Amino acid sequence: MTPLTATERHPDAAHGATPGPAAIGARLLERLDAPRACEALLDLDADAGLAWLCANLDLVNGWPIQDRRSVLAAAIDALPRSETADAAPLLAWLAGEDIVEPRLVLQLLDSCGPELRNGPAAERLVAAALERAPEDAQLIGLRLPGLIAVGEAEAAHALLDRLGRVDRSLACAQRIRRMRGELPATGPPPVRIALLSSFTVDQLVPFLDLEVRRLRLEPSIYVGPFNGWAQEIYRPDSGLHGFDPELVFLAVGLDDLVPGLAGLMTAEALEAAAEDVLQTVTGAVRQLRASSDALIVVHGLHSAWSDPAGIARGAPARDAWVTRLDLDLRDRIEGMERTAYLPLRDVLVRRADGPVDDPKLRHLARMRLSEASVREVAAAQARYVAPAKGRTRKCVVLDLDNTLWGGIVGEDGPDGIRLGTTAPGSEFVEFQHALKALTDRGILLAISSKNNPDDALEVIRSHPYMVLREESFSALRINWLPKSENLAAIAEELNIGLDSLVFLDDNPKERELVRQMLPDVLVPDLPADPARYRELVDRMPELQTLVITNEDRQRTGFYHARRQREEVRERATSLGDYLASLAIEVDVAPASASALPRIHQLFQRTNQFNTTTRRYDLAVLQGSADDPDARLLTAVVRDRFGDHGLVAAALVRMDAAECRIDSFLMSCRVIGYGVEDALLARIAAWGRSRGAAVLAGEFVRTAKNEPARTFFSRTGFLQDAADGEVEIWRRSLDTDFDVPSWIALNEA
Amino acid sequence: MRPEEVVSRVFGVHRADVTDETSNRTLPAWDSMAHVTLILELESSYGVSLSTEDALQMTTVAEIKRVLTGHGVSW
Repeated sequence: MTPLTATERHPDAAHGATPGPAAIGARLLERLDAPRACEALLDLDADAGLAWLCANLDLVNGWPIQDRRSVLAAAIDALPRSETADAAPLLAWLAGEDIVEPRLVLQLLDSCGPELRNGPAAERLVAAALERAPEDAQLIGLRLPGLIAVGEAEAAHALLDRLGRVDRSLACAQRIRRMRGELPATGPPPVRIALLSSFTVDQLVPFLDLEVRRLRLEPSIYVGPFNGWAQEIYRPDSGLHGFDPELVFLAVGLDDLVPGLAGLMTAEALEAAAEDVLQTVTGAVRQLRASSDALIVVHGLHSAWSDPAGIARGAPARDAWVTRLDLDLRDRIEGMERTAYLPLRDVLVRRADGPVDDPKLRHLARMRLSEASVREVAAAQARYVAPAKGRTRKCVVLDLDNTLWGGIVGEDGPDGIRLGTTAPGSEFVEFQHALKALTDRGILLAISSKNNPDDALEVIRSHPYMVLREESFSALRINWLPKSENLAAIAEELNIGLDSLVFLDDNPKERELVRQMLPDVLVPDLPADPARYRELVDRMPELQTLVITNEDRQRTGFYHARRQREEVRERATSLGDYLASLAIEVDVAPASASALPRIHQLFQRTNQFNTTTRRYDLAVLQGSADDPDARLLTAVVRDRFGDHGLVAAALVRMDAAECRIDSFLMSCRVIGYGVEDALLARIAAWGRSRGAAVLAGEFVRTAKNEPARTFFSRTGFLQDAADGEVEIWRRSLDTDFDVPSWIALNEA
Repeated sequence: MRPEEVVSRVFGVHRADVTDETSNRTLPAWDSMAHVTLILELESSYGVSLSTEDALQMTTVAEIKRVLTGHGVSW
């Protein structure tokens, strides 16, 4: 191609008059192929080029896609330089095409007036560009008003969730919260959270809102008046009490409680101040405990000021003082009922970026935390909201290749995979340690991997650096089936819902497929760098538990024993033989004080075998255990493969001449062994001893508790009446309540 | 990004409605809390560190531009 001469570049100079676009176009077309000519014209004279383009769209549409794309780019580039051109035809043309770079769409819209920018063509264009660049914050921002205007609440909420992930700034978080205000709720369960503080925490709200929505909860957040935290707690008519929170975060600034920390303080003054702080905070928490059912989460203590004594030896060491005080506070808080301590200093150390403290913000707005810290604290708070609202998942399903180890065992061989003491490989060992710790918190692990079982099992059984072994996993699906099928099978085998599963896989395609097929399964994006795998698990709110019981620590063992039982079952000739061979022992006893936390956990968690699903709190259960007219019975189960632990409980009460079963619940782990029959026999015995003639079972139907209903019909109860949603099933106590022959029933 | 754009993003007002005269008196959304957000957003958009005094002065778009220019920022 010959370059244009100076005269051709500046035709006006040669002719003294401006030739029309058609004339320029014609002249250029003599020298160049049409698309290049068009580009050159757009470059030379934006007005003329755009006019020519808009007049010849039919011709342009016939060009190959590469040419259309580059001409478009040139046209969009020319738009801001043009005084006369109208963006409307371009916009309309583009909206019908799917060839334009998302970046150019933004550029084009920038050149449009508000009318065009908010028009239907622009909307289509933005939607199409967003398909190709789903993580572009600007495009998301342009797409949202349209969705909000037409009331597409669900899509808008999803897009706002995404925006919060790609732009983590405070400004963006606030914008998101503002837009949510214009949207109707889409139905996730609500949660009421109160923030009480001695300093400004308003900046926390938009971040906490984002975090809580990630848990599929709809937050309403109450922020107490500035520095009014104590009045809020002590005054019965305060906004806090009217709000009736489910969780209260109490963030009292140490520097606010002890303003003298800004300067040097003597050892005696510090000691006195420490006792004062402890009294003030624990006193307020005790008061709040007495007047509210909320989970109270107390933030740990931190001082923005470093030691005014500098590095001098022998001065009353400030950091040591804060650390000791913080530890004392933790001990006192954890000694109280239904409270939790948030390790603020640890959270601040682990924030990803930015300073802990921004002194300017302290003076401008009485903020005691920087933007980065506020974001991190909100993430930490979400780790309390999730378990408090029953959002804890029960099982993590893991891929193997490039998830638990580096490389592909089927290709690299058991000796070729990366797993060991140095990188690459040490990241995976570290990750496995975090997963192993999950099993100690009561969370199960399972495997879903596309592999030859023999290859994978060889690594799991004999690789020297595997931290997780066969007994760490409660279910194994190593095959070539789709992962969604395996996940469904794992949920069924473990007798838990799909909404109890987390799926971790390094392959984005597998993740996306599972998200589409099984939307109830939680599928986080695994970071690209395996060194960050561990962080994901450590920080995940859905894997947190507020209290760890003995049953939690043993749970993985229970499931491992269960797999062994299944093997026996496959060999047994009949179900009776199989059950007899298990040598099941059941101990039924009234609830002891030490068993209450576990009983409480059963009441909170059991969904399937639960007759009334009444989620009694610890205080109610304690009261029932002490009530002479009631009986809180528990069943502890053992067999030859191991302990099942405390797996069933029933709350019964004398009501005139009948014995009422208020609640009857059993872990799904032991469904099918007849444990419920043994417990029922003991209930009947207690009822008779109290002079009852009839046993009455209450039943409240839920989406999940059909197994409990069949229990009443199977054991000879007849449905008698219904009291609102409560069905009453009755059976005379004048009959025998059989204990299955394969169960040895002990009474404590 | 122009300072007007940052202001429009932070306060959720249309870009065309932001002029040099826009200030914390003309925009109801521009309260002391939102001011903190604005300062943080200006810092991250232009990679500058603003002082308390800078922040206290930046109460109009014209002042924002003046202080930013003083920090060697152009847009």
